[in-house]
Amino acid sequence: MSRVRKLSFYGLLIFYSVLTIVPFLWSLSTSFKPSEEVYQSNLIPEAATMKAYATVFGKIQPNFQTLFANSLFIACVVVVLHLIFAALAGYAFARLHFPGRDLLFFAVLGCMMIPDQLRLVPMYQLLVNMGLINTGPTNYLAIFLIKAISAADVFLMRQYFLTMPKEMEDAAKIDGAGPFQLFWRVMLPNAAPVLATVAILTFQGTWNDLFWPSIVLQSPSHWTLPFGILQFKGQFSTDWPPIMALVVLSTVPILALYTFGQRYIINVQLASSAKG
Amino acid sequence: MQLTRPKTLRLSRKQTEAFVGYGFVSIPMALFLFLSVGIFFYAIYISTYDWGIMGPTEYVGLDNYRKAFSDPIFLKAIRNSVKYAALVVPIQSALGLYLALLVNSKIKGSKFFRSAFYFPSIASSAAITTLFIFLMAPDGVFNGVLRFFGVDTANLFNQGAWLSDSRTALYSIIGLNAWTTSGTMMLFYLANLQTVDSQYAEAAMVDGASRRQVFWYITMPLLKPAHLFVVATGMIGALQLYDQAILAGGADGSPDYSLMTVVLYIYNACFRKFEFGYASAIGVILFVIIFSLTLLQKSLFGSGAWKAND
Repeated sequence: MSRVRKLSFYGLLIFYSVLTIVPFLWSLSTSFKPSEEVYQSNLIPEAATMKAYATVFGKIQPNFQTLFANSLFIACVVVVLHLIFAALAGYAFARLHFPGRDLLFFAVLGCMMIPDQLRLVPMYQLLVNMGLINTGPTNYLAIFLIKAISAADVFLMRQYFLTMPKEMEDAAKIDGAGPFQLFWRVMLPNAAPVLATVAILTFQGTWNDLFWPSIVLQSPSHWTLPFGILQFKGQFSTDWPPIMALVVLSTVPILALYTFGQRYIINVQLASSAKG
Repeated sequence: MQLTRPKTLRLSRKQTEAFVGYGFVSIPMALFLFLSVGIFFYAIYISTYDWGIMGPTEYVGLDNYRKAFSDPIFLKAIRNSVKYAALVVPIQSALGLYLALLVNSKIKGSKFFRSAFYFPSIASSAAITTLFIFLMAPDGVFNGVLRFFGVDTANLFNQGAWLSDSRTALYSIIGLNAWTTSGTMMLFYLANLQTVDSQYAEAAMVDGASRRQVFWYITMPLLKPAHLFVVATGMIGALQLYDQAILAGGADGSPDYSLMTVVLYIYNACFRKFEFGYASAIGVILFVIIFSLTLLQKSLFGSGAWKAND
């Protein structure tokens, strides 16, 4: 590469990185600014203050701790459900033989075609009939039921189990392991990378979801972080620092997850692209 | 006796395997049957009724569907969603491809740039849209940058109110989502680029092809699987636009319904007007559109055009 070419090449890379990173730095900076400075163009606050954080941790109802705990609780339960069901079904579809298996798997693929927006009305009606649209603790069950299983995750697990060598299975079979021991003691421990992928993507998707929480969660004490941001954005329309503090605080966990789990996420983008 | 024993043992092993197999898929399949298949038919059922908050009152056949196509706000929502999809899909795909080509070259720091470019894709739409609304405010950073370059934002046709002017609101959201989604699209292109053998390009260069020719005649056709995937997923995602619209324009898709999308329209029909039957019909219409696009994708893809595990 010529020198000029190389320079303009790096220029482009740096320019676009600025476009992707600076907005987030701006939200971080604004969360530490006093209200008078909000619309000033300085990135480093002149009179940095923790007031916005004091507001989101203390004054707002529900406060950040509640929103965080709800988001974490919901995301963790959904991750566990997805892991269990995707591992069981994915393993059975990939490695066990039983009549009607391929037909059932085809049905699972069909379920991927049904968009959430179509499920909205009947799901809501069903949850009303079940008495889960309420302000009590059973309201959480509504979210868990909606998100209990993901066809894409079953597909992902199946693809992974298909790639496992037959020898691994044979060795365990010779040692007298039945299908269940084989799954639990041999196959599952070896599926750790894809389990991590499913866990990370499910966590990210549930943590970031706004659609279902905004429809199902009835009591402010049940709100998740994205739903809280939507609600407070209306209330604090001109008071930006607390909203920016919420934006920062809700993004940090997902950023940490992404940093530590990066290789699993890239894995899955690859794997899920085989879906087509 | 010794000879038959292994035979029965093998048979029972097969049976055990089938038994365990059914056991493993039973709960997942029950959930799918209940939460996807059952719900799907329930949606169609509801859509044929006049169905209010107290449940069904009257069977109306296809009236809800007819009603939809005579409602100017629904037609506006369809137009907005189609306009949005038609613009955001090419922009985010092209940008994703461009970024993938940039970070795929052997350069110092490509890992850093890859992470930086993917960064906007990981945050929640609620966080990122709120941040965007702040940056695009009349006194915000975006207008500050324009003023720095000599644009008199206060006297622009929209007074620099990008999200509260009906002429620019949808385009602003297109800009936002092109920016956030291109990182994901970049990853899909990168995955495909890594399966592309560089010897074709090298051979063409030896034969005297220019860089531009190599790109258009060699690299682009080899990326066909990624093009189709990126465009199809982009289309489906674009037609489901909801979060950014409700955050920036509220439930009415303000200003002047310029941010009213099909999904936001369903939300309104359901939770503000309590017309469940009608809302369900719109859901079915959206499903038909998305399903047709998916079938189109499948037929374009052929079978197994691109397997990640190769």
